[in-house]
Amino acid sequence: MSAHHSDPLDNPEVQQGTTLRFAVAFLASVLFMGAALLVSQHKLPFLEFAEIVVGLTFLTLAAQATLFFGLDISRAQIWKSVSLILTVPLFIISVGLTVWAFSSLYSRTMLPANEVPSMSMPMGSNATMSMPAQQTLLQ
Amino acid sequence: MATIAKAGPNTRLWNAEADEHDTISTRTFGFWLYMLSDALIFTSIFASYAVLSTPMNLAGGPGPAQVTNAVEGFWQTLIILGSVFAYSQATVALKNGSKAGVAAGILVAMALGVAFVSMGWHDLAALTAQGNGYSRSAYLSIFFTLIATHGLHMGIGILWMLIMLVQIARFGFTADVVARLLNLRMFWQFQATIWVLVYVYVYLLGGAA
Amino acid sequence: MQVDLQGPWSPLFGRLTLDAIPYDNPIIVGTFLGAATIGLIVVAAVLYYKKLPYLWREWLTTVDHKKIGVMYIILGLVMLFRGFVDGLMMRTQQVIAVGPDSPGVLGAQHGFLPPFHFDQVYSAHGTIMLIFAATPILAGLGNIIVPLQIGARDMAYPYLNAVSLWLTTAGAALIMLSLFVGQFSNAAWVGLMPLAELPYNPGVGVDYWMWAIQLSSLGTTFNAINIIATIVKMRAPGMTWFRLPVFTWVNLSTSIIGLTAFPVLGVALSLLTADRYLGTDFFTVGHGGNFMLYIDLFWIWGHPEVYFLILPPFGVFSEIVPTFSEKPLFGYLTMVAASFAIAGIGWSVWAHHFFTMGMGPDLNGYFSSATMLVGIPTGVKIFNWLFTMYRGRITFTTPMLWAVAGIFLLLFGGFTGMMLSAPAINYTVHDSVFVIAHFHCMVLVVATGAFAAVAYWWPKVFGFKLDEHNGKLFFWTFVLGSVVVFVPMFGLGLEGETRRLDYIFNPQWRPLLIAEEVGIVLYCISIFYFLKMIYVSLRDRVPAGDDAWGTGRTLEWMTHTPVPFYNFAVTPQINALDELAWRRENGLDKVKPETFVPIHMPSNTAVPVIIGVLAMAFGFGMIWRIWWMAGAALLAIIVAVIARSFDKNQGYILTAEEIAKLESKTELASVIAEQPKRAPLDHVEAH
Repeated sequence: MSAHHSDPLDNPEVQQGTTLRFAVAFLASVLFMGAALLVSQHKLPFLEFAEIVVGLTFLTLAAQATLFFGLDISRAQIWKSVSLILTVPLFIISVGLTVWAFSSLYSRTMLPANEVPSMSMPMGSNATMSMPAQQTLLQ
Repeated sequence: MATIAKAGPNTRLWNAEADEHDTISTRTFGFWLYMLSDALIFTSIFASYAVLSTPMNLAGGPGPAQVTNAVEGFWQTLIILGSVFAYSQATVALKNGSKAGVAAGILVAMALGVAFVSMGWHDLAALTAQGNGYSRSAYLSIFFTLIATHGLHMGIGILWMLIMLVQIARFGFTADVVARLLNLRMFWQFQATIWVLVYVYVYLLGGAA
Repeated sequence: MQVDLQGPWSPLFGRLTLDAIPYDNPIIVGTFLGAATIGLIVVAAVLYYKKLPYLWREWLTTVDHKKIGVMYIILGLVMLFRGFVDGLMMRTQQVIAVGPDSPGVLGAQHGFLPPFHFDQVYSAHGTIMLIFAATPILAGLGNIIVPLQIGARDMAYPYLNAVSLWLTTAGAALIMLSLFVGQFSNAAWVGLMPLAELPYNPGVGVDYWMWAIQLSSLGTTFNAINIIATIVKMRAPGMTWFRLPVFTWVNLSTSIIGLTAFPVLGVALSLLTADRYLGTDFFTVGHGGNFMLYIDLFWIWGHPEVYFLILPPFGVFSEIVPTFSEKPLFGYLTMVAASFAIAGIGWSVWAHHFFTMGMGPDLNGYFSSATMLVGIPTGVKIFNWLFTMYRGRITFTTPMLWAVAGIFLLLFGGFTGMMLSAPAINYTVHDSVFVIAHFHCMVLVVATGAFAAVAYWWPKVFGFKLDEHNGKLFFWTFVLGSVVVFVPMFGLGLEGETRRLDYIFNPQWRPLLIAEEVGIVLYCISIFYFLKMIYVSLRDRVPAGDDAWGTGRTLEWMTHTPVPFYNFAVTPQINALDELAWRRENGLDKVKPETFVPIHMPSNTAVPVIIGVLAMAFGFGMIWRIWWMAGAALLAIIVAVIARSFDKNQGYILTAEEIAKLESKTELASVIAEQPKRAPLDHVEAH
């Protein structure tokens, strides 16, 4: 065992944090989410609205990943970055295939909502299950 | 596959200096891995939310547009992002070895965190008082679960911050304490990331029908 | 929707009453008497030989990865035996209860197990075998071998390692307790919905099953974190990625599965817990519940889980086949790639467990194709093993026999798996015993891998080899039993026998069922040979050399035999893939380090075993609705974790002189040896 211990505060993850990074991350997140809120106040068609919001979310997450978490390919951070990137497909697979499976299942096996007497239609919109599989579950 | 080199005069068989490991980065990496598993927990809850938010799951009760308010959700988003900023600033003070700076950042982060959790709690309590509690329908069950799971994580983080205040005062910035502060930073930032996804998926996309 | 629980509830005992103990069930009473006798003998022996302090100091409070691994394997073998007895009971019930004229005893109309009891038996069998037998044995192997293979002194998080062990043990204890206090789940090992919901299962059986799995799956997730961090961060100098042994690579891919899939199971069970305890409506009938969601979430975990179980045995074969063919492994890179391909693809194929749910041809087509894709990397592995053996100098030691049998069983299981991945075939055999035969072939690959590994690495840990003669008898009877039980089962499945039948209505199936019973008798004989092998090995204790088999290739064979608690006296410098084989070729394998340096070791701690006991108390309290017990246990766990974070113990220093002494008399440093107390460091340098 060597006689010296390095100062804990010299660790790259401690040194990496700066007020500038964190402030930019904070502002970027607030601005992107604020923009998403503003967009939601206009009555856009759902698909376009979803595209814009998803895009803004992606930007927010990217800002947080690089500026808050400090992920990059430096020696101190590379394994975190690699492990995150390899896990992201799992998020997409589990949610995506579940949504696909259930929307397909519903369109094949479920009665249309307006034909089931016990169910009311709170939206008043055309949310019937007899529509083809393109219909999203994001009511 | 690796070329089998022949041993030469400079071949080294033992390496005594190799025992120094960077304990802090080993710990933060392990905590990061734990957070990836936590992300999978939230992923499953999101998948369940997707399945259980159709009209069939409302059982005649309220749906996403009725239980969420995009503007109120935005204030919550602002507060949690502020809390994360405050704690991250605390770690900038850590760079300079300033106990006071770190403590101040943590206290602000705690206050904002408590405010965030209270807002969420208030929402859920109001729904329950209306008769739309978590047992009313499958949709409300998953909505409560999503908000409550995130809130529980926030609560654990706040408790952790309290403990760190005590440890900083007692031990100063040892390797263990610094590792824990870094882990807590990742944990807290992660809560904001999850909340962004909740806000977008439940409040914005869910509320738009 | 809240459902009123049946039966009384008191604040002190919850739902627990004396009625929970099944005095009137002779099978359980007999089991209890047998288990209690064995338990009392063990406790009496420990006390008589005054080994309690030794046990506490050296085993129960250890953070040494090798001892933790050994305890994992002991736990797994004990649970394997219990799971086997469940299997024996099922086979025997099914051979007796055939046709309307079949006799019935002990309260059963046919056979000796009434339906409700039979349901608990198969639910316990599945749960125990997969989660409490196979997983701990494989986790134990990884624990012992991975740090040795990468030249590390211990895992990255020794304390967390111990916590994982004791959480798993707590879950196993709950399952064992369910035999004698209350009942076990009758809703199968998967948790059939809505049968597992409160209205249909108001008793404690499902709760036992739920909490046992939750505790152990927490342990598994922590173990996965540990292994990944160890492999990424703790490799010896010169141990680059492409010099890692395949067993280590495989543990990495397995742990990635463990890290990512087990949380999904946690959520599925937590949603069920919420339904049963809080009255939420996730999987209920009515109020918008959707129990197909449970099936989806469960199998998102369930399919990666089976790859989690089978990848380590593949890694074991990849170590054993080269060693006993005296050739390097053929296709190292493709082996590594195949392990990750299996893990990755295996994450996206789960719905092949419910083709019949009705998702439709598009989805069934996707999941079917993806499932078939997994056959490619698996085939790569099989060919690589075969090409390794080709023109090698093969010795059929016991581990090699197990490995070869495993490869054959993999073929059976794999081909029938490919059959099942075609929805057209799947629709006709879904929920039939054809599926059971398929997956038992696969878990038998896990079993052969486990037995191969135990036989192979036993000398490294304990210093003597297992008896070869009885080992081979154990092997042959076990493999023969496997074939005789499960080959007829494929036939019965194709003839239409469904799963989980306590009564078989078709007497024409009797001959094949009798054949299966013969197979289980062969298994019983194999257990006799297993115990005889252990007895003879312990009695004779023929010492093994450092490189116990003479042809080891990887780093773990470079340590002393038995391996000392600090693993390597001086961390090795790695120069090549298959470092030991490289050193042997260069005539350097006998070179020992000349000078020693002090080593920093972690201290033992009682916190993990205390957490384990508290976790069991928490589970028990939740199961029986003893709220004060559950609450107090949970609080105590939180306090213990926080209190430990204030512990200033930084481990202890092993001086160079002590190491020199231990190196000259290696029995002093083995896993069995008692170590003197060494003063811990407790000064911490702060900034």
